[in-house]
Parts: sequence; C-alpha cells; structure tokens
Amino acid sequence: MQKFSSRRNFLKLGFLSSSIFVMSGCELFSITTPYDTIKVLQYDLFPQAKKLNIDTSSYMSIIFHHTRITKEDKEFIKNGVKWLNEEAVKMHKTIYTNLLSTQREEVLTQIAKKEWGESFLHDILSYLFEAMLGDPIYGGNNEETGWKWLAFSGGKPRPKEMYL
Amino acid sequence: MYDVCIIGSGAGGSPIAYELANAGFSVVVLEKGKNYTEDDFNKDEVAVSRRDMFTPPLNEQKHIINEYKSDGSFTRFDGQEYSWNFWNGSLVGGSSNLMSGYFHRMKPNDFKLKSTYGKVKGANVVDWAISYEELEPYYTKVESVIGVSGRVINHKQQEPRSTNNFPYPELQTNKVTAWFDKACFELNFESIPTPRAILSVDALARHGCYYSNFCGSYGCASGAKGSARAALLQKCDAKVITDAFVYRMDSDESKVTKVYYYTKLGFAHSIEAKIFVLSAQAIESSRLLLNSKNKFFPNGLANSSGEVGKNLIFSAGGSGKGRFIFENLTKKQQDELMQTGLFFNRSLQEWYDYEEKGQKYKGGTIDFLFEHQNLISRVNRELYDENGNIMWGKKLAERIHKTITRSRVLTFEVFNDWLPTDNCFVGVDEKEKDKYGVPVGVINLNGHPQDLQVGEYLAKKAVQVLEKMGAVEIDYNISASPPPNLVAGGCRFGDDPKTSVLDKNCKAHDLRNLYVTDASFMPTGGSVPYTWTIYANSFRVADMIKKEFSV
Repeated sequence: MQKFSSRRNFLKLGFLSSSIFVMSGCELFSITTPYDTIKVLQYDLFPQAKKLNIDTSSYMSIIFHHTRITKEDKEFIKNGVKWLNEEAVKMHKTIYTNLLSTQREEVLTQIAKKEWGESFLHDILSYLFEAMLGDPIYGGNNEETGWKWLAFSGGKPRPKEMYL
Repeated sequence: MYDVCIIGSGAGGSPIAYELANAGFSVVVLEKGKNYTEDDFNKDEVAVSRRDMFTPPLNEQKHIINEYKSDGSFTRFDGQEYSWNFWNGSLVGGSSNLMSGYFHRMKPNDFKLKSTYGKVKGANVVDWAISYEELEPYYTKVESVIGVSGRVINHKQQEPRSTNNFPYPELQTNKVTAWFDKACFELNFESIPTPRAILSVDALARHGCYYSNFCGSYGCASGAKGSARAALLQKCDAKVITDAFVYRMDSDESKVTKVYYYTKLGFAHSIEAKIFVLSAQAIESSRLLLNSKNKFFPNGLANSSGEVGKNLIFSAGGSGKGRFIFENLTKKQQDELMQTGLFFNRSLQEWYDYEEKGQKYKGGTIDFLFEHQNLISRVNRELYDENGNIMWGKKLAERIHKTITRSRVLTFEVFNDWLPTDNCFVGVDEKEKDKYGVPVGVINLNGHPQDLQVGEYLAKKAVQVLEKMGAVEIDYNISASPPPNLVAGGCRFGDDPKTSVLDKNCKAHDLRNLYVTDASFMPTGGSVPYTWTIYANSFRVADMIKKEFSV
C-alpha cells in the first residue's frame, strides 16, 4: 500500500489494491493485492515490455473498472491471483512476489498445466497486450513503443479519448 | 402523424427514408443505438474489437441459442453465459457502418434456386417472388447512390448488367494481387477484382478512401464506405430518433396503428404513421413481430401463416488462410508483402455453380483478403506453441516478433447458400427478458449437410491458389456455425399468404401498411454477402411505397 502516495491514487486503483487472502490449507497465510502480484507476473510473462520501458500493470486498473468487462471476468482475475499465490505457498512456502525468478518460473509452469491456470495466464497476457499494443491513449503503449517494436504504425484517426 | 415510420436505420430501412423523405413525405426513423459521425470514428482496437463498443452488453441484452443436432435434439446456450451473440452494430446506419463492403450481386439463378437445381431433401428451398431482371435496375442504382467501386471483367459467371462498368474506379491494390493473378492464370482460374462499397475518389459529397488499414469492424472516418448513414440518412431530412428501442407494434385487423419505444432511460413513447417499415435486422425484426401479439394476431403480428421467424438463414461456408514467410521471398517480394493500407480485393466465382458426379450444385463465391490488421488480435493468436501449450517469456516474444514482422497471412472467405430448414428459425423466450423487460430472441440453429459439402468443395479450390502462390501453414475451417453478421430470412416473401409472411413487394400479407425491408424477406440468400441485395431491394420497395402514396 505504501507505494501509493495519496488517497486519490489509492481510490483510483480500487479493486487492484484490494486485499487478497492467501490461504495455506485452512490457515490464512498472507495478504497481498492483485496489483502487487500482477505487476511481477506481467514482467515474468513478457519481459520485453520491461525492456521497452512499458508499464502494463497500471492498465489493469482500467480493466477492473471497465463497464464492458463482466463481473465474472474481474472475479476470475482476482481469484487467479489468489490461486497463483496459493500455488506459490504450496511449492515454495511463500507468496509469488517473494520468490526468486527461477521459482516463479516453476510456479508458472505448474499452473499452466491446470485449466484455470492456463485461462488465467491467457487473460493476463491478453490484457498485457492491450496495454502494450493498444492505442497510446490508454497509457501503456507510451510513445508507441509497443507498436514500433513490431513495426506497426497504428490506425488513423487515433481516438481522442479512452473508451471506458 | 408521420407518413412513414421506419424501425431500424441500417441498409434495409435507410433507402426508404432517403427516397420517401426526398420525395417530400414526412419520415421518422427509430434507431436503438447512438449516432456517430465521421468525426467520431477512429481506429481504437481496444474499444471496437476488444470491448465491442458498437453492440449491446450481453448482461443487458442477449440471445438464447438452441443448436440442433442431426437427430433433431438440441442444446440450449444462454448467450450471456457463453459470450455468444448475434448483435452486429447498434448505431445510426446499423452494421453497414462496420461492414467490409464486399459487394457482389446475386446471380439470376439465385432467384430461382428450386427450379434450377431442384428440390433438396430436408431443405425448404423455393424460388424468389421476383426475378434478377426486376432487381437489376436497383443493383445499378446502389452502385451510383451508395457508391460501388470496381472493374467489371468478362468472366463466365458474370451476371447481366445494364451498364458496362462500375461508376467509380477500383480501389488501389497491394502488389501481392499480381502474385494471386499469376497463380490463377497458371491454374486456369478466373481472378475477379472484388467490387467494394467504398468510394475510391471524392464523390457524392463524401471523401474517397484514405486506405486507413482498418476497414471491416470499424466506422469509416472519411465517409468513403457506403454506410446507410453516410450515403443516405445524412442526405435527407428524415427525422432520426436515437436510443429508441421499439418493443411493440399495435394493430387492428388490417393495419398497424402505432409503435411503442423505450428511451435509454426507460421512458415509453409511441409513434403513429400511415406506413410502417420494419428493418431491425433479420433476427430482431422477427422477434418484434412475435412479441407484438394482439387479439387479431394471437401468434404474433403479421403471423397468420405461422411463418414469422421461420427459415432463418445465414451465409454458409467458412474461412481459411495461408502464410507468406520472408524466408521464401526475395527482398522485393518481402517489401510488396508488407505494404499495408492497400486492399487485396480479389474473388473467385468460377464455381458459382458446378457439377460433381453428374449432379449440378449451386456453389458460391470465394473472397481473398489480407488478415485483419488488428494487432492485439494477431498477437493473441500466437500464445500457444505447436503442441497447444501456452507460452510466455522470451520464447513468446521471439515468436510474436518474427510472426508479425517477417510474415503475413492471406485469408479467404467462402460464401455459399445456407439452405433453409425447419430447425433454423427465430422464436422468443418464455422466461428470459432483456433490460427493457422484453422477451429475448431465441435463435434456433441448424445447418444442412449439403452446405458443408459445397463449402468444402470451394475451400479446396482456394487452397490450390494459396499453394500455387507459395503460402505455408495453409488451413481452412468449413463449419455449420453461422456468421452472425450474415443473417437473413424469418419473414419470407412470396405469392402465397399461407406459406409466406410478405408479398412480392415486401408488404405483409396480413397488414396493408406494414413492410419488412431488411434481409428478413429473403427465402434463400444467394452465395454472396447480403448487403448489396438488401440495399437494392429496399430501393425497389421505396418505389412501391411511393406508388402507393400516389394512388
């Protein structure tokens, strides 16, 4: 939470900064937030974004507040974060964000074999690509860096405002 | 009281609005969606293709879909639960704003399918109530009023034309079309330039195409695309009421008296008119009639025949693709391949009908086009490896970079007749309601086996061209799943009031002031996209309505 310097920013992140209770069996093991986990997870899934200095995790705030993303889809992401962390606890005795990169890779390999895990990774990657390769107005594709990486020039006219 | 009230502002309704308003009649158009102009349209993939900004949210408006099996049983799908919907664009001008504008006329034999090809077991094939010759002048009118660009060539399936060529020159094409033409020449196939409802030059007080690279699914920011809004509604003084969802039509025993609509905020209003024109797109038009039962029409308005909703059709066929990779190309060819913006615009109609094993079949059209430029969608198609496992990290990044920057996909779409059957029809649900409290439409789906057989035949021809061109990773998918944007039928026209809903002028047999002018009237759909035919027929009906007013 201390990452967010003002109450306004905290409220803006809303769902992303809400608490997720990570369980180990029936015991409460830890509390984390979707934002903390997704930030690390997205860099693990697509380090190219970090290389290009593209922030994709803040875009998840738009997704969690979007009128066109269903409640079920938002819940699934939140549950996916919880289950990912529980898998991390099961495998390495601590939550995902505390693991070494090799350990995180092991966790990803493990959850990719499960139906929910594959869907969760698919969704997180899809939103990541929306941020990185969607119109720069959404904040992720800063200075068209994502487009330039793929020699893509974008369609014109560009939107004047975000569709929320 | 208005002279004419039109429900739905797309390709079926707007020609009537344009013609009648410009002839001095008072016309009102009720449109469920919002109004967007050229200034509003942009190429935001996230909004248009990921968040579906032009169609209703499924938690507010959905369909129930019953998918029939060959034994007559069916599986019920809740459209919201399965993210399966048949909305195509709720906005002024309807889905014509978002079409790709591949414009082919139906051919003379399409108007007499039963007499030409005979009965097909299990299919309700009939001849049309009009001939190609009756519609031809209106196809020609669409070319000049909506704006169709192209180049007529003399090929063996070319339909008769009253003019020599299109009024607007063909759009610029990518150099890869020359590879295609060469391959066709070597295969002895006739390559046809695809006509498009897109202005290639400034005309009709609209701008010519600026080759944005984002055409299908997107609104056109120059007005080049011949949407019903750009080409017609903005050129007449018909009053368009937006955010107006028509939920009921009232009638006495012989005429419609009033229609009722809800505003966005749920307030109910009504409109009276001398003539009513229903054009809400095939599924919704049948749904509205079925939801408008009254004491004179207990089974739904204009439904004394019991035929409303019946014989729903789509375009059968499917799509396929092949990839061109840099490794197999010269530097010059690589540059030609990656040239974006310009169109591909090639079609094959060689097998619009064909013989196989001594039997004559109605075939269809194959359109070729580059894979849509939507970048997020293209990248998302690369998430899985050859074994179907999801990838991430460096491996995924390398694959995406290589695929997007060093290859390009040429796709094809097969259009053949979706034969009308008893189990393909529109109903309304007894329990499920939309956000307005109105029973939702039930779409009953059934594909005839011959649809797949013909689709396969055509797809294999397309594959031959891709192989000859040197494409790799060639595959195709012909299936009975219907393309939601190519829908017709439900209110057949015909001469017999017992077996059809509308007469040959698309007026309800039961009601003397109700016309249905979207694709609902079509008893069979031809083997081409429907929009040109919808426009042409609607111009034809407009002439009939004008005649009726003059009596």
